[in-house]
Amino acid sequence: MIARRAVAALAAIAGAGGIAWLSRAPSAFGGGADATIRLSWRAEGVPVEECRTRTQEELAALPVHMRSPRECTRAFAPFELAVAIDGRPVVRDTVFPGGARGDRPIYVFRDLSTKPGRVLLSVSFAAVPGAGSASADANRYAWDGVVEVASGRVALVTLDGDGKLVARTSGTP
Amino acid sequence: MMIVDDTQEEKPRGHGDGAATPIRGSPATRGIGVRALARVDAVFNALYTWRFNPLYHSGALVVACFVVLSATGLYLLLFYRIGAPHQSVSAIDAQWWGGRWIRGLHRYASDLAVAAAAVHGIRLFLQRRSWGPRALAWVSGVVLLGIFFVCGWTGYVMAWDAHGHLLAVEGARLLDALPIFSEPLGRAFTGEEPLPDAFFFMNLFAHIALPIGVALFLWVHVSRLARAQLLPPKPLLWGAIGLFAILAIAWPPPLGPEADLLTLPAPTETDWIYGFWLVAVRSIPAGWVWVAGGAVVAAVLFVPAWTKPPREKAPSPSWVNPRHCTGCEQCFQDCPYEAISMVERDDGREGRVGFVDPARCVSCGVCAGSCAPMGVGPPGRTGRDQLVGVKEFLARAQPGPREVVIVGCLHGAAGAVGSNGVDAATGARVLSIGCVGNLHTSVLEYLVRAGVGGVVIAACPPRDCRSREGVKWLNERLWNGREAELQDRVDRRRIEVVYAAAGEGSVLRGGVKGFRSRMLKMEAADAEREFDVGAECDLAEAAP
Repeated sequence: MIARRAVAALAAIAGAGGIAWLSRAPSAFGGGADATIRLSWRAEGVPVEECRTRTQEELAALPVHMRSPRECTRAFAPFELAVAIDGRPVVRDTVFPGGARGDRPIYVFRDLSTKPGRVLLSVSFAAVPGAGSASADANRYAWDGVVEVASGRVALVTLDGDGKLVARTSGTP
Repeated sequence: MMIVDDTQEEKPRGHGDGAATPIRGSPATRGIGVRALARVDAVFNALYTWRFNPLYHSGALVVACFVVLSATGLYLLLFYRIGAPHQSVSAIDAQWWGGRWIRGLHRYASDLAVAAAAVHGIRLFLQRRSWGPRALAWVSGVVLLGIFFVCGWTGYVMAWDAHGHLLAVEGARLLDALPIFSEPLGRAFTGEEPLPDAFFFMNLFAHIALPIGVALFLWVHVSRLARAQLLPPKPLLWGAIGLFAILAIAWPPPLGPEADLLTLPAPTETDWIYGFWLVAVRSIPAGWVWVAGGAVVAAVLFVPAWTKPPREKAPSPSWVNPRHCTGCEQCFQDCPYEAISMVERDDGREGRVGFVDPARCVSCGVCAGSCAPMGVGPPGRTGRDQLVGVKEFLARAQPGPREVVIVGCLHGAAGAVGSNGVDAATGARVLSIGCVGNLHTSVLEYLVRAGVGGVVIAACPPRDCRSREGVKWLNERLWNGREAELQDRVDRRRIEVVYAAAGEGSVLRGGVKGFRSRMLKMEAADAEREFDVGAECDLAEAAP
């Protein structure tokens, strides 16, 4: 009886200990030796407006207070994102504006894994040519330069208060 | 017919909870699982006895954990600050006399809750208790487990260490794959700006509000059970709490370094019970995670559908024969699933009559054992049907006045012990039965009055009864005069109940041998020559 109880107690301790161990087991997660370049910004889009003139029949079908002679749909143009690290293209993608109707600002949020140390980074973010009413230059964001990022750390590329892309690493205000 | 003599070639089937229910799916896999479960149960019974076997109380342990989590959580809430999450948790950990072990107990209880819930679900799946009227309990149980997961998730984010950071980032990544947010949630963790207090407020709100959902779904979960046992027996309850409290003192859970948004989240330690999915998820696109996760959740949620037996093999619910029903309400009181109600009679007689709601009846057959006039039960398993089965058994096996008959539950040890009507190890005749909770005491009276030396009722451990309360009511009828009680004229020395789970054949055999040695010291049993069960019990109404 005593032996059985001792075994039962040991088994209970082992079971509870097993649960406690699983609650704090060594983790294989993490960034490892790599670093990350994080692209994260919110940009106002380039408006794309398509208008047409309503017919008399269409106007008559509308309530009086809604009889605007022109009907317009407004959305933002897509942008092209291109990123190169050490001269090697790693991203070339089209980014669409947010919202089901594409009338929300454009958000960019990418984590790019890279080797730690000094990295030559080139970022270009511009409205798709031909889309929108503004000139391409007015809606082009770009950053080229060297970023130094330590192992397990993140270098952040974002927009500053003036609407220009900047790169921030740890300690950068 | 409910009682099945093992001298027959064919095994009983198709009797729902009361017997082996055929299912769709993968019987081979489930057969392996059932055998493994039987072995594990036997080991735990040997160590802790069936009364305190934690596997039998896995569901109640989850509720106990919920109570512990609520109590410890209230204490932690007093010291948690959303403006300084990591610092406040560090300060809690600095309270060596209280906060540290209370936080540890909070965390370990949350882990135990998930582990116990998983055991509970696997048990019910393997025991085929997941379909039909139990579908509501199954689905609500899955939802409960999901709420526990999400609640635990928010709890780890509250601490805002590297582990919480990782969970927050992964959670945001998954949620951002859904087209429901105008701005990606993940941008909150980019490091552009410090995380706002509003984030931690919302997280804390979710962590406190979700347990309300747990309480709600727990109510739904047990809503179809009569006399639901929500907490484990006190020795097990306090033993588990004490053990984890000691662990929390001796080995408190770690608090990682504070999350830094410009550092890759790399916890050195992870809670694998809540974070096991991270292994697979981190390297897979979020859309595919939703597809795969949704498929897994759907498969689990739809277990009641894909384990449901074909219509022709599905067990029939109980029914009441109004001619025999006296309106005594015993079946109404005994039904473990509240499937029986009392309604006004429509046959011109006064009083009320039992009515079985087929949508709630799991066909456990407990009502068959509770009805003295044998007027209720699943078709073919009423008291009268049982007596017909015993009559045939006695005619075929002809057990002598020095012989033991094992009347055993198919789900317990008797289901594995019997072979060709005789247990080779003990020489006892075996009469298999769907569930001893179905057993009408008239069957026992019949056996004893027919001159059988003794009857061993091989029951499953009460907390492992497939019919929930079958063993409990059997004991009440045998020893405590509960309707339909064993009559005083029956020599109770010749009847014994042995609790033996499916993997405990040796326990049953030991019980039979001990009983036989006592029985052999008694005078030889004497059969009543004038006893005619057919005349006494109107067996003409039994199912053919």
